[in-house]
Amino acid sequence: MKKRILSILLTAALTTGMLAGCGGQSGGNETERSDSGAIVLDMYHSWSTDTERGAALDKLIQQFNEENEGEIEVKVTINPDFPAYQEKVKTMISTDTTPDIFHYNFNPNDLSRQESGKLMDFTEYMDDEWRARFGEGDLENLTINGEITSIPFEKAGAVIYYNKDLFAQAGINEFPTTWDGLLDACEKLEAAGITPFSLYTADDAWYTCNLFTYLAASYAGIDTLNKGGDINTPEMKQAAEMLREFWNYTTGDAIGANYSVASNNFASGKTAMAIDGPWLIGTLSEVEDQIGIAKAPSFGDGKVPENYVVTDAQTPWAAAATDDKEKEEAIVKFMKFITSEESVKQLTLDGAVFLSPKLDLEDPDVQATGGLLGEYLALNSSAEDSTINIQRNLSTAANSALPSLLESLALDNITPDEFVEQLAAENE
Amino acid sequence: MRNKKVTPARVVMYAALVIVLIFMLVPFIWLVISSFRPNVDLFNEPFSVPKHLSFDNYTAVMESHPMLLYFANSVAVAAIATVVSIAAATLAAYAMMHRFMTRKMLTAVFSMCLFIPTNAFMVPYYVMISKAGLYDNILGIALVYAGVNLPMSFMVIKGYMDTIPLELLESAQIDGATNGQAFRRIILPVSKPGIVTACVFLVINSWNELLFANLLNQSDSSRTIQVAIRSFLTTFDANYAYAFAAMVISILPTIIIYALLTDKIIGGMTAGAVKG
Amino acid sequence: MKRRERILYLLPACILITAFFLFPLCYLIYVSFFEWNGLGPMVYVGLENFKAVFEDPEFHMAVKNTVIWMCAALIVHIPFGLVLALMLNRKPRGWKFFRVMYFIPNVISTTAVAFLWYFIYHVDVGLINNVLNAVGLESLAHPWLNDPDSALIANMVPFMLYVGLTMIIFMTQLATVPRELYEAAVVDGATSVQVDLKVYLPLMKPAIITNIMLNLAFCLRTFEYPFLMTGGGPANATTNLSLYIYKEMTGANRYGRSMVAGLATVALGMVVMIFVILLQRERRKERAK
Repeated sequence: MKKRILSILLTAALTTGMLAGCGGQSGGNETERSDSGAIVLDMYHSWSTDTERGAALDKLIQQFNEENEGEIEVKVTINPDFPAYQEKVKTMISTDTTPDIFHYNFNPNDLSRQESGKLMDFTEYMDDEWRARFGEGDLENLTINGEITSIPFEKAGAVIYYNKDLFAQAGINEFPTTWDGLLDACEKLEAAGITPFSLYTADDAWYTCNLFTYLAASYAGIDTLNKGGDINTPEMKQAAEMLREFWNYTTGDAIGANYSVASNNFASGKTAMAIDGPWLIGTLSEVEDQIGIAKAPSFGDGKVPENYVVTDAQTPWAAAATDDKEKEEAIVKFMKFITSEESVKQLTLDGAVFLSPKLDLEDPDVQATGGLLGEYLALNSSAEDSTINIQRNLSTAANSALPSLLESLALDNITPDEFVEQLAAENE
Repeated sequence: MRNKKVTPARVVMYAALVIVLIFMLVPFIWLVISSFRPNVDLFNEPFSVPKHLSFDNYTAVMESHPMLLYFANSVAVAAIATVVSIAAATLAAYAMMHRFMTRKMLTAVFSMCLFIPTNAFMVPYYVMISKAGLYDNILGIALVYAGVNLPMSFMVIKGYMDTIPLELLESAQIDGATNGQAFRRIILPVSKPGIVTACVFLVINSWNELLFANLLNQSDSSRTIQVAIRSFLTTFDANYAYAFAAMVISILPTIIIYALLTDKIIGGMTAGAVKG
Repeated sequence: MKRRERILYLLPACILITAFFLFPLCYLIYVSFFEWNGLGPMVYVGLENFKAVFEDPEFHMAVKNTVIWMCAALIVHIPFGLVLALMLNRKPRGWKFFRVMYFIPNVISTTAVAFLWYFIYHVDVGLINNVLNAVGLESLAHPWLNDPDSALIANMVPFMLYVGLTMIIFMTQLATVPRELYEAAVVDGATSVQVDLKVYLPLMKPAIITNIMLNLAFCLRTFEYPFLMTGGGPANATTNLSLYIYKEMTGANRYGRSMVAGLATVALGMVVMIFVILLQRERRKERAK
């Protein structure tokens, strides 16, 4: 009898003992090997295989695994909820369970990942040939304290998609070239029973921030915006005021909606406009022929060039630091593979992504790309100037406060001036 | 016998009971119906009489996501958490039947923990579980549940054991039974209703928990059904119809278990819930 | 029972309590004095975190909303459960059926319930607005979760409605009331409502205290409803302490401040404990009379 109780007790004590007992284990350092002796690289990313870009990436990883059978095996874990994914990566770094390979949104004001000392430094592997693969300045921007801890990868422009059919229903045949013209168009759309804009406030409020950045660039000029510095400026306040006006033309669920809700509103033809990256194209298959891509409006005062884009942050690859030379080399091999010309071509054409590693624009397959993706590539490669979405340079605290501040602005709880002031205060 | 005549008061009471029932259950009925409709219909004619009903959403969900694995994870987490927590609570409650110096103090500590909102411990739990190498492991999630629910299981079981006359224990000891024998042969069978109640609480709590399951999970291998449902709505393609189907799938087993074990669950709770 | 044996029996529970309550509490107190982003080094900042959190309007909102949730438990949830229990206690035909049905929402996960209600409230595809439109009450249709005036109430409705567990706990207590008491009252010519008020209610105190305790504890840690239905919005109108802790930790990466909010939550828990202890003492006094 006693034995039985003792055994129950022991199992209980053992399981709990695991908690107290093994404190010293650190996940990042030991090299895991598969049964066949191949080095296992745990990769963590957010591109769901249900999406075009996820499928394209998955195909490449499989190809890599086949080519390196018995030597390297990349094991993938996917978390498609990007804001949650980003949080998770940070917590994983903090607890020494850094994934061997992962991607993240680069933010020059939040270098916590790079400065954690837990990321691998690629400097000694960065030869001239590899270096030449990347777009101008991208690698330099990602070099922090002399270390290359991130490999430039995705860097997509967020462009204005609009539903031509819905615009036609409202009697508009040309996409407006000025912001005031766009407001008029919104008015007409609204009158025709069509909701003009897809916007949202939850998570990273990305659509809304894209619009805000376009407006801010139009008021302040791209050069001023790119200089950075204090965001508490008159131009920002003007932009916030205009943003508030556009808020009258969005869906009823925009407050509290997240990316999936807002993009779905556009893809299902409920709204007439959305500002999004190239990956949106994959979800538009059913309405693709109705959709066009427009050049962003301006105030017609020459502050911005005729063709300018707001890009999203760099989303580079990074890797966990390791003492194992073999593992380092395996990681480098993968990084070189994924940034190679062939991989980039596949990802762009099959996955509709826009990358920092150079795409050969002379390639006949690329030239033959038609449809929305072709339009997108043309607009992006002909852009005269670009600026990065404002929120990507905000501090984590400011980003975290963004949803509630935007909601307060939309609900008129705070004025546009207060919106900018409070955002600036959080950013300090 | 009570008055079974139809009186106005009785009619009013029935009406009230039925109205409450409607308010409680209509949302679930709406969910089930919607889960059989295509997403397009949900958007365009959300409230019309459904024209197209099919299992398409269900097959799509089952094909694209390892729902069975999520299920298995949820079951495993709930089972481990319940066994560990109830075993620890029962053993401790039994020890508390005996008088000893630190008894009062220990009971006070245990019951105080009942009032500590464990959501305050997100960071410590995260750090502890990761350091123990149990991050992204169902064992880690289960242990947190076992710990978090321990004060509750302890109080329920102890509350029940307190009603057992001490003479029962004493007579067993006079008969020469060891503590272990007395526990197993006498106290355990008598306190079964209390233990069942605690188990019901624990299984429901573990099955339904989202916060820690989400915090301590990374990959499919430890994803519980609750975390899975959440990811349905935050991933790229907001397909409400799929989400509805996934929700129904996640609800179904609990409903089936409940339907099969109604008497045990409600009866067990009725027997053990309030003492003192 | 010998000392050594006793320790063996108590050990598992004590390990769990130490690992999941006492140690985290100490950790919480310790880290609350540091600025820490979760990745880098921890910097001692004294009481800075406390000052920042206590001055943060969002924190005030979180505390206020948590207290409102607890009030909803005391004023709506528990009385509602009590009324249902008393009605079913009269054993009308089919009372068992009602009892089983009322408990169903309690076996369904809060995650599913919260999502379901998110859709029920949805401006366009939601059940409520569509029912209102269907019966010609378009003017009442409303963006329930997107309006700060209605969002908090909307958040609490499922909680206030699904009282199955509370009701069962009351019914348990009711079942222990000796039948003679009821019969004596009926002989005296009391109406059903009078019986409920005069015979049953005074005997329900233990169940009332249990329910107060369980429900206040639930309100203090509820996370799913605001997290899934509104994310704490619009403009923080529905945020609560759980969500504040979560956002400071995972969103803003201010672990120290998150810990301070955690301590505040624990403090609120202690207030609830004192409240419950006072209720129990009151009851004992009455009994003694």
